[in-house]
Amino acid sequence: PCRDTARALGSSPASLAPCRIMPVRWSRYNPSYLEPEVKKESYQKPLEELTEEERELMELKAVRPIKAAPPTLSSSVFSDPMISKFTNMMMKSGNKVLARSLMSQTLENIKRKQLEKYHKAPENEKETIECNPYVIFHQALKNCQPIIGLSNITKGGKTYQVPVPLTDNRKRFLAMKWLITECRDNKHRRTMMPEKLSQELLLAFNNEGPVIKRKHVLHKMAEANRAYAHFRWW
Amino acid sequence: AKHTEQHEGRLYNIPLEEVNAVFPHGLPHRFQQQIRTFNEARVMVRRPALELLGYLKGSNLRHPAVRYVIYGERGTGKTMTLCHVVHYCSKQGWLVLHIPDAHLWVKNCKELLQSSYNKDRLDQPLQASVWLKNFKASNEHFLQEIKTQKKYMWGKRESTEEGRPLREVVEQGLARARSACDAVGVLLRELKLQSHRGSFQLLVAVDGVNALWGRTTLRKEDKSPVCPEELTLVHNLRKMLRNDWSGGAIVTTLSQTGSLFKPSSAYTPQELLGKEGFDALDPFVPIPVPNYSPREFESCYSYYLERKWLQHEKARTEDGKAELQFLSGSNPRQLDRLAGPL
Repeated sequence: PCRDTARALGSSPASLAPCRIMPVRWSRYNPSYLEPEVKKESYQKPLEELTEEERELMELKAVRPIKAAPPTLSSSVFSDPMISKFTNMMMKSGNKVLARSLMSQTLENIKRKQLEKYHKAPENEKETIECNPYVIFHQALKNCQPIIGLSNITKGGKTYQVPVPLTDNRKRFLAMKWLITECRDNKHRRTMMPEKLSQELLLAFNNEGPVIKRKHVLHKMAEANRAYAHFRWW
Repeated sequence: AKHTEQHEGRLYNIPLEEVNAVFPHGLPHRFQQQIRTFNEARVMVRRPALELLGYLKGSNLRHPAVRYVIYGERGTGKTMTLCHVVHYCSKQGWLVLHIPDAHLWVKNCKELLQSSYNKDRLDQPLQASVWLKNFKASNEHFLQEIKTQKKYMWGKRESTEEGRPLREVVEQGLARARSACDAVGVLLRELKLQSHRGSFQLLVAVDGVNALWGRTTLRKEDKSPVCPEELTLVHNLRKMLRNDWSGGAIVTTLSQTGSLFKPSSAYTPQELLGKEGFDALDPFVPIPVPNYSPREFESCYSYYLERKWLQHEKARTEDGKAELQFLSGSNPRQLDRLAGPL
């Protein structure tokens, strides 16, 4: 009944506060809603330091409604968007608690392995060993990202694999997907996920390992199919 | 380890050889991992431990043994306090009877044998033999000196004569798994009788003492539940915890994490021990263990920074430190878990 009245009035569900309807997935907010501000620094600035535009923005925020903050958005100094994306991809059937604990155990595992190596290494090699798990994670993902991808284009009844440039988002997605599928499929049944993931990440950091091989195979296929590149029309 | 109140909040180092000798089985799992990663064992000196050490130093060994119960919320460092006290006493030359976790004896037991000594009771050969092995590793030289005072029969053909060193009793228990629990009982009885004389001081350190008076998850073959009294190990340990002997001290820890059928918010002795346990342990000295004070938190934080455990760049800033303090609530276990991935 509430939703019918909303549709009759002609506005989207989320803009009607008194009717308690939960926003459904992919619901569209009324364009008058503004994004929530998460950074602590913006709230600590005194009024005099604000420029004209920022003062206008503050006044607007006092009047307009604000969208609900999604649960992944956090104001903690330790939050990292790539890590949260990776955790979301590892999550199965909405079990974010488990995915997040697996991620933290993976980072701890990487740190422990690197620290053990660090303490056993002789003095001159100590600086080359990287102990920060976040740096290793980012570098490993960067090493796994393909430069060029293949897409299926049908021309004259036959489908060809055509080399195609990839957007940044697509590259990041492919790197994370390959890492996760590699860990899930090709390992011994009894090893734990943090163990497998930390091993894979360390190998990818040094440009070794099965994920890097898969990236090279893709590059070679794209190089081999260079002749069909002109089939692309975008 | 001569620590006074000035040392509160600082961390002291235990050399690795001593760690293996004194604690074959006592340390918590995460602490053992930390020892392996940092290549050293560092224990923080805290107020409850200092209090306990003061009492132990001033205790008169002629009087019956005083019982100390360490209690506190989850993850505040009760087991580490116990380990600190155990290390101090072993350094002073006391005989340490350290039971790492009494909860392991009342749950998840694969083999239950009927005891040969007493028809009603049940034996646990696995747990008893594991404990005997660790006890032998930690107290080698004492076993040589102390002699038995009675003749003990293990089954029809084997027996230990009067006046033999206790080491033979232990080896008998290790060799024959069936009589391992009886060997433990004999050991405890001998130590109790002989500590009167004053040739050695005895420290009984039990972690998770509330397991001895609760319920068990074990069942007999006809699926009826087992009471803790029916287990030989528990029965002998209870006799040990009664303070009718002199020449030492009893230090125990309550633990909710391993306890059976108790709510997770329970941490006081009244709730965790139950009526039976509280009456049995009745005249005891309670020692509460609180969360980290600001000074202790700072010392722990700077230790992690110095050992390069906190690798995140933001963790070194003031904001990061304030966030860690807020998120962990100054609870040692939470801080350890949070600082892991960072």
